[in-house]
Formats: sequence, structure tokens, C-alpha cells
Amino acid sequence: MTAYLLNLAQLAAIFGLLSVSLNILIGYGGIFSVAHAVFFGLGAYAGAHVALDLFPDLLLAALASALIAGLLSAALALPALRVRGEYFVIASLGLQMLATTVFTEAQAITGGLGGLVGIPPPTLFGFTLADPLVFLFCCLAFLALALALVRQLMRGSFGRALMALRDSEMAAEALGKNVALIKTLAVVLGTAFAGIAGALFAFQEEFVNVESFTLDQSVLILAMVIIGGAGTLSGPLIGTLLLLLLPAALTFIPFIPPTDIGAVQQLIYGFAMTLLMIFRPAGLAGRAMGRR
Amino acid sequence: MTGGKSMVTRRIWLGGAAGLAAGALLAPSRPRAEDAYILGTLFPMAGPNAEYGTIFTAGAEMALKHVAADKMLSRPLVLRAEDSEGTPQGGAVGMSKLVNVDRAVYVLIGFTGVSKAAAPIGARAKVVLVNGGGVGPDLAGLSPYYWNVIPLVPDEIKVLVPFLMARKLRRIALIYVNDPFGNGLLKSLKGDLTAAGGEIVTADAIAPTDQQFSAIAARIRTLSPDAVYFASYGAQQAEIIKQLRDAGISQQLLTYSAATIPSVRNLPEAEGLIFTNQAADWSADDPITKRFVADWRAAYHTDPTTYNQNYYNAVRLFALLAQQLEKSGKPVNGDNLRAALLATRRFPLVGGEGVFDDLCDISMKIVVNRYQDGKLVPIG
Repeated sequence: MTAYLLNLAQLAAIFGLLSVSLNILIGYGGIFSVAHAVFFGLGAYAGAHVALDLFPDLLLAALASALIAGLLSAALALPALRVRGEYFVIASLGLQMLATTVFTEAQAITGGLGGLVGIPPPTLFGFTLADPLVFLFCCLAFLALALALVRQLMRGSFGRALMALRDSEMAAEALGKNVALIKTLAVVLGTAFAGIAGALFAFQEEFVNVESFTLDQSVLILAMVIIGGAGTLSGPLIGTLLLLLLPAALTFIPFIPPTDIGAVQQLIYGFAMTLLMIFRPAGLAGRAMGRR
Repeated sequence: MTGGKSMVTRRIWLGGAAGLAAGALLAPSRPRAEDAYILGTLFPMAGPNAEYGTIFTAGAEMALKHVAADKMLSRPLVLRAEDSEGTPQGGAVGMSKLVNVDRAVYVLIGFTGVSKAAAPIGARAKVVLVNGGGVGPDLAGLSPYYWNVIPLVPDEIKVLVPFLMARKLRRIALIYVNDPFGNGLLKSLKGDLTAAGGEIVTADAIAPTDQQFSAIAARIRTLSPDAVYFASYGAQQAEIIKQLRDAGISQQLLTYSAATIPSVRNLPEAEGLIFTNQAADWSADDPITKRFVADWRAAYHTDPTTYNQNYYNAVRLFALLAQQLEKSGKPVNGDNLRAALLATRRFPLVGGEGVFDDLCDISMKIVVNRYQDGKLVPIG
């Protein structure tokens, strides 16, 4: 049981980091991206290649993943500077579809649908992190770092400017805020953390393929942020725990016939999510202002 | 204001903790490892591939009934199902639960991505994973504890090509899913066909999620091949068949064992479809096949598919190996199951004798079939 719980806790920490990173874009910047799994994937492939082709150092892999995801975030930042609202959602949807095709077709780099197998356990300064508990602490350390950084940034001038853009881009611009720079920095920061989450995911799963970086995954991350409460520090974490642990808890329901287990779990899960959004539209940790 | 917010957050955390506690209380009283052998299944049980999960599980469930009825083992054999969601992440979480919570000793699995994510967990815990659905060549030798009870796709191509040459079907148009299975099939078909004097006139790669094939069909029509081979799986197969026929392609359609699912079998446009699969002579006289087919027809009022057969065989294989270990007084675990498999190699299974190689992959007789009036008819 302990190993299973540790596995779930590792995933929760990784997806917590992922949803915290998306919260920078959605919650604080009002940039509604449905392409976050792309940067998660870029980080995972980068981390996997560092581990497979160089050496499986966790910091090196995380750094490479953050750099690659952050640099390639221009693909998201450029449309974010030109369009907003529902138009940006469509632009990011296009990016997600494009990336899924590239991940599938670029077999020399990604392994296509067959993916990259045999990713070795991570090391840190020469010490192996194969112990699940030790690796969990590493994931939690990255999550804590991201939370601390986001908290600090959002309390400073950058955070205030970003939230001003979210509330009214024109007003912020009229007040002399550099919209292009602030948006680009928010996207780079958010995607870099998503890249680190990808590297951790590659080490955790020991295998990566395109099926983990599809639109479904992007929607799941989006749901974690919105259900937990966008624009709050704890909201994405609560959303992550709920969306990861609820399906896991549902697998313990007795007396469901094996052939119906998936359908029953999906029904309960979907029903719970619908109720949640009806009664807490601003998310679990969000302010009740969504309720009118 | 702040107090109110922290109160809400506290309530949420308390609610979450209560939910988890309730989940733990709801957990069924699971048989302890010393009470039963736990057999896990890790199939997609919801979504577009749920049809496969249902088919796979049904075969395993019938074998469980037969093992219990025959009192083959000294302990009960209990099934624990996990939904893999058809994704690597779902597969890894499900496998982790089967291994660490349910203490499964033997897990039935299908699908490449799920297999590759679950295989390292199985290898670490020395839990045997058995595939009876995926036929991609990259599933061979995934780990010492990953076995295949389904012949992989190169075996099917080896049988199909001489059949095509005999029927003078030399110029083949190929539509294949761009994944390890599809690429493996392309390699095998190209190699074997060229060696036999045939050729692939066009090879169109498609994504597993593609739904529109009319452009490919129109192009294939202009090339006038002798036959069209499609290598796909799931609901996509029916779409390909329909759209090829709608585009006016009247040439012979060919495929592999994935066509045995009901959504293809019951498709009017699939009439005359030729495909390979492992020998499944439901009129065979051997008592194992006879019993399986009779009980299947009684339970489902239809013939079983080869997937039903494979997962029945996977469970039967476990029962035979565990029985052998029990007799010799050895514990039933991954290492001993593997050693027993490699020591014995040949097992009486549904469809005939199954022979395992050094990688623990089965080889069985492959036949060529045709759908006639919605029924599978062996033709070569």
C-alpha cells in the first residue's frame, strides 16, 4: 500500500507543479491556454534524452527541460500577444494539435507512439534517487520552489502588472505597462515550470510517449486549475489532489463488475465535477464571487 | 474576510480527508495474499477502446470459472480489474495499485503504451504481465516478466504473403497506423512481399485518431492495386472499410487479427474481408477448445473471438504453471512462474498447443480467414 500511495503522491506533486505553472498563465495572466501539455511533453522528452543520452542527473534534466520548454514558449507567446479571450483558446488549440502531430511523427526524437523506454532512475550529485520516498521529496522540493516563487512574484510589481493585464489589458497599457514583455515573461515562466514537471514525469514513469501529452491532458490540467480555484495559490493544488485522488479512491468501490468498472467510475467522476462547478463556480479555493 | 477564507480552505481539507477516509472504509475486504491468487487486469474499460477491455475481460472470466470448476489450484483465483484508461499514465497508476495494494501475482494487459508504462513496475516487483491483444513487434522482450500469448504481427505476414502470391494478388496498397505496430507491419509486409515477387504500390501512414480516409481511398483507386491491406485497430477499422467501399474500391480488402472484433464482423461492408489470425477452429475436437466454445456459445449465444481465446489462454496458462509449482512445493511468484514456463514451453491451450520461445512469446498456428455472411471462414 505504501508504494502505491508514494506513487500517487509523486504524481500529485508533479501535476501540482504543472497546475501551479498553468495558474500563472490562466489565473494571474488571463491567458487561457489549452496547450499546456505541449510544454509538459517538451520537458518530458528533453529530460528523457538527457537521462538516456548523457547522464540521469535530475538537476541537469530539469534545467534542460525548463530551457527547452521556456524557449519554445514563443510559439504560445506570439499568439498571446496578438489575440485574447476565446480567440487565444483556438490559437492554443491549434498549437496543441500541431504539437501532438509533431510528437507522433518526429520518431527519431520522440520515438513516436512507441515512445522512449528504459529511462534510468534519476541521480543527484552522484547519489541515486531510486527510492520512491526520496524521489517524492525531490518532486515536493520543486513544487515548493515554484509555489514560493509564484507567491513572491505575484506580490511584487510583476504580479500586480500581470493581474492588471488580466483584468483590463487596455487600462494596463494606458498606465504604461509593457504588455508584450509582461505576457511573454508570464508565458516563459509558466512553461518552464511545466517543462520541469515533464522531466520529473519522465523519471517517474520511466517511459514517455505522445499519449501523455494530448489535448485530454491539457484539458485535465486546465480543470485542475479551474476546479481548485484559478488565481489562488492553493487552488491548483486542491484541484490536482481532487482530480488525481478522486479517480484513485473510486477504484476502491467494491462490488462493481470488472467490465463496468470504467464506465461507473467515469459517471461518478463526471457527476461530482458537474456538481462542484454548479455549487462552487469560482473553484474550491476561489472567492465566492462567481456565485451570484 | 481572511478568517472566512481560511475557514473555507480548512473545510475543504477536512472534507478531502473525510472523503479519503470514507474511500478507505468502502474498500472491499480483500483476500490476503495467503488466501488467494490475485489476478489483475489492466485494460481500457471506458472510452473509445472500452470494447476491447470488455472482450478481453470476458475471456479471462470464463477461464476463471473453468479453473475453479476443475479445482486446479489449492487456493481461489480472484480477479481484480483496473481501468488503464488506454494511457501510459493510467496504466502505470493501475499497475502500481495491482502490484502494491492488491498484491497481484499475474496481470493481464493489452495496448502498447500501457504495456510499456506498466512493464518497468512489473519488472521491479517481479510480477508477470501477459499480453493477449497487442501484436506490435516491439512488445517482444519488453521485460523478462512480460509475456505474449498472441502471435506478433510478423508471424501473421509470413502466412499471408504465400497466400496472396497463390491468388495472384501481387500489387498491394497499404494503409497503416503510424505506430510501432504499423511500422513493424510495413517492414514485414514489404520484406516478405518483395522477396516473393510482389510489391507495395503505395503505403499511406495514418494517425490512430484519424477518421477521414476518402483522399487516401481516391488515390488508391487511381493506382488500381490487386488488393488493399489496412493495418489499424478499434473503431477506426470500420471507418476505413466503409470509406474504401464508398470510394468505389472493389478490390480485395486484407487485414490482420484485429478484425475479429464484433464492430468489424457485423459490418455489411466487411463481407469478403480476408484476414489472418491464429488458428481458431471452433469445431476442433480437443476437449479444451470444445469446452471453451460450448460454454461460450451457451453464455453469449455467439462464437468467441481470438481475443477471448487469448485471454482465456493467459489465465489457463497461469493455472497450469501455478499447479505445477504447487505440486513441487514452490511459491507462486514471478521468478518461479517464468522458470516453470521456460522449463515446460509447450502447453495445451484453446486452439491447440501453444509453444513459448526464450522471450516467453507464444507461437501458434496462423490461418487465413474470410468473412462470409458475418461469419469467420478459414480459407487457407
